[in-house]
Amino acid sequence: MRKVLTIALHEYWINVRRPDFIIFTSLVPLLGIVALVVSLFFGRQAGGAIVRMFDSGSDVTAVVDRSGGFTPILPRFEEEYVQYGDEAEARTALENDEVQRVVVVPDTYRQEGEVTVVTEGSRFSGSGTSGLRAFFTAHLVEEIGDETLQARLIDPYDAQVEYIGEKAQASGGVAGEILSFIVPFLFGILLAVTIFVSSGYLVRSVAEEKSSRVIEIVLSSVTPQQLLAGKVIGLGALGLTQILVWIASAAGLGGGLVVLAGILLPLFTRVEVFGLALVYYVLGFGVYAVLIAAIGTLGSSFQESQQITGIFIFIAAIPMMLTGVIMTNPNAIVVRVLSWFPLTAPTTMMLRLPLAEVPWTDIAGSIVLLLVTIPLVVWLGAKVFRLGMLMYGKRPGVLEIVRLLRHA
Amino acid sequence: MTESVLSARNLCKRYGGHVAVDDLSFKVQQGEVFGLLGPNGAGKTSTIRILMDIFKADSGEVELLGGRPGESRERVGYLPEERGLYRDQRVLEVLTYLGRLKGVDGATAKDRALALLERVELEEWSDKRVKELSRGMQQKVQFIACLIHDPELLILDEPFQGLDPVNVEMIKGLMRSLVSEGKTVVLSAHQMNLVEELCDRILLIDEGRALLYGSLKQIKRDFAPNSVRVRAAELPTAIPGVIGSERQGEVTLFTLEGIGAQEFLAALVESNVEIESFERATVPLNDIFVAMVQGNSQSEQ
Repeated sequence: MRKVLTIALHEYWINVRRPDFIIFTSLVPLLGIVALVVSLFFGRQAGGAIVRMFDSGSDVTAVVDRSGGFTPILPRFEEEYVQYGDEAEARTALENDEVQRVVVVPDTYRQEGEVTVVTEGSRFSGSGTSGLRAFFTAHLVEEIGDETLQARLIDPYDAQVEYIGEKAQASGGVAGEILSFIVPFLFGILLAVTIFVSSGYLVRSVAEEKSSRVIEIVLSSVTPQQLLAGKVIGLGALGLTQILVWIASAAGLGGGLVVLAGILLPLFTRVEVFGLALVYYVLGFGVYAVLIAAIGTLGSSFQESQQITGIFIFIAAIPMMLTGVIMTNPNAIVVRVLSWFPLTAPTTMMLRLPLAEVPWTDIAGSIVLLLVTIPLVVWLGAKVFRLGMLMYGKRPGVLEIVRLLRHA
Repeated sequence: MTESVLSARNLCKRYGGHVAVDDLSFKVQQGEVFGLLGPNGAGKTSTIRILMDIFKADSGEVELLGGRPGESRERVGYLPEERGLYRDQRVLEVLTYLGRLKGVDGATAKDRALALLERVELEEWSDKRVKELSRGMQQKVQFIACLIHDPELLILDEPFQGLDPVNVEMIKGLMRSLVSEGKTVVLSAHQMNLVEELCDRILLIDEGRALLYGSLKQIKRDFAPNSVRVRAAELPTAIPGVIGSERQGEVTLFTLEGIGAQEFLAALVESNVEIESFERATVPLNDIFVAMVQGNSQSEQ
């Protein structure tokens, strides 16, 4: 175990200092910063729009009412709408940044419905007129005495949809429902991305040890299993580091910490889903990383190895492509099959868990299968590894590999 | 009887239809330099990889330092034929890492690496990246990489490959001092003069089978033709038992038949020949090697 750790630390430490790793990792935050700077310099309006988006408190609309239907302004709109008697006066207020737009309601409004909106900014940043609908509706229905009818006119229906043939469970309203789907979906994507990123490092690491011929020296000190495990742990951590930097920088730049909290909170309300997603993440990564590292040794160059391992990244992504099926019928036979098959189980289960009451047999079965698969792929992987690492020159065919494996 | 640190019994290894190692048995004694010889593709590297637990034998047994192969990786130093180093990393870093993989703690590995680098006159290169070193320097770094954990048994596959004569001398010196410390060396090499100089016993294999096995002295004696080299001011023309003579500068090579070297010497002394030197002729290991391997391939046909 100590040797596994030595290898893991070495792999992590050597690679984390590589210039290309540092550049690639900082690329995403840098691009974010560049985008932000560009938008600040070249689109003050855009900047203004962002500010307005996040700081809605300062959004005030001047209303010049010539129809009389909006005088006086209803008390609940008083903070965001201010009455102006004269259009010129309202325009001055707009120029002085006291208001963000001016709405002129002509006396022909009732018949024609046309109003004039004067706003700062450009077509690019939007006029901010969408918020006006609520203001207009509220004032128009005010003439109706019946409050219940008013309420219905403003918000005509609240649909309680029941889907036949599916036991969707929604807790915490629409937002909760969306979040409880998005979060595991993101987890699934995170797994696919981690596999993708780390597999690149894994393949490069084994290809380098192979082409520099250092591998046999290493194999005289440690077993192929130890080497494989050390690499998977070290480079898995490396991939995770990269992704965490990306997520953190994206969250920081996008002001998205709130978003992040919004994602994490529902997870803690359904701890079992979160816990299981984590279990599937770790197990899924283990299976894929070992496979990729082992198969990666068979190529004679980095590029060739990467081609061979590309197929596994594709398999990991299959359930993502079937999101539609999983969403509409989380307990369909095809979904259950994908849930049991170790290579698709992690991503499938991540998508499926929050959507339905997954039978415990599926959960237990897929986890047990994954747990059995890992030692199996490590054992088989070590054989392929032993074989591939010391085989120089041409890439063997599938039949040859099977034949050689029996003798390895 | 000296203790054997390594013994192989009836080793067999096949790759598909090709037999790489065919019923091979041998022992390596404590403190000796054991030569593992053979032409290219004879099965030397396969044999060594089985000893190092990099390959598994199809059948047969190996006992290495009292256990199965792979049980005592920490006590064996291995210099493979296919070798290299992490090219982008620094020399000292690589050596320390390889030492740690052998179970030595980081600080000790570093100290030993520095001491060994000094010994092969590379101390100034310890902070350089491996790819900045010349081929010969890299060879020396690889050599010390297999000594970093102070192993009891060294298995060296072609350690002199790519070295100039000065560095060959340096590595030879290092090997001799290791043996004098009581370490055992298994040496696979193609330079027969070096094998003759260094090895106590040898195993010559071809097509996975043992052709010759035993003490180098004994083998050379067995292969020595019945001939002697004599240097004398004047030699009689007709001596009984001599079937051929050849002048090689000041020395004459006599091929004998029916009498031994001892009797021949007595006959010379009797005829009052003034002998300056007299020696039994030996055959260079190189000739034995070539004769055996060619003989083996002819008998196959």
